[in-house]
Amino acid sequence: MTTLYLRDRWFEDLPVGEFHVFGSHTFSELEIVDFAQQFDPRPESTNPEKARHSHRQGLVASPWLVTATWMRKMVDYMEVYAQGVNDGRRNGAGVAINDLQWLEPVRPGHTLTYTYEIVEKPERVIREKWGLIRSRNEAFNQYSEKVMQFEIDILAERRPKRSDNVQE
Amino acid sequence: MSAPSSPNDQLSSDTIALDKNAIVAFATLFDPQPYHLDTDAAEASIFGGLCASGWHIAALATRLVSETLLANGIPFLEMTSVGHLKWHRPTFVNDQISVRIALGSSHSESPITDTFIQALEVEVCNGDGEVVAGMSATAAIATGPAAGAAL
Repeated sequence: MTTLYLRDRWFEDLPVGEFHVFGSHTFSELEIVDFAQQFDPRPESTNPEKARHSHRQGLVASPWLVTATWMRKMVDYMEVYAQGVNDGRRNGAGVAINDLQWLEPVRPGHTLTYTYEIVEKPERVIREKWGLIRSRNEAFNQYSEKVMQFEIDILAERRPKRSDNVQE
Repeated sequence: MSAPSSPNDQLSSDTIALDKNAIVAFATLFDPQPYHLDTDAAEASIFGGLCASGWHIAALATRLVSETLLANGIPFLEMTSVGHLKWHRPTFVNDQISVRIALGSSHSESPITDTFIQALEVEVCNGDGEVVAGMSATAAIATGPAAGAAL
């Protein structure tokens, strides 16, 4: 029996309701500070001493570090569970996100677990070969608090028509 | 940059140049997909060339929003939500990124002490003036003594 993995499948093969746990990541003080120095240089994220006296009362990760780490966990997950990703053929790019909320601060030593669920397949055909997969994505900390959520529309290649004679 | 005369005025940021090293460095850490890492693979991909991760663009846009609001006397603390973000076109090697910010007219209550929530409409532009991404976001803005500290 052939196992069909995430990106081994065409748009038509991906069911609404499919759920994955991409995995967990523990944030270090170093990566929080490094990211913030480049992208979000606020004392709450770059300077542990100043952060203690800030409204956050201690170092917190930039919200975009929390979200960018979702991307990394997804890519890592795909590399393990999907085949044929590296040629980029069915590598769907993200098109848009909705309802991105950062709900709780993420601090050094916190461990987030990232989840993904397909919630909708909007009826659209893009550039004649792509469909849209809408997923709801969430991150939970070690206290089981939800710290982030968003929906993202990602391109997925539609099954070629027989006349296209595309090789599987 | 000058202070806005009305809430609907647009604020414009400085520019950040995105070279290949920056694009690959971000992608290596957060988005290691062929079209963000490898020129040949990128040219064969849907994007047609090596381009920045969309998350890289979002993070840089937030940095520019932060710097621009602070420079205009608006004590930005942090971004709190993004209702909608759309990537309209790829950002290629050596593109110049800047943002235009329109401040929403209404303020709402914030869960963070001594702040209010400000709505922002952000357009991310490249060096040719094309909009590469658009973002509807909210940010926590400091009030009272915290405002002075933020600025």
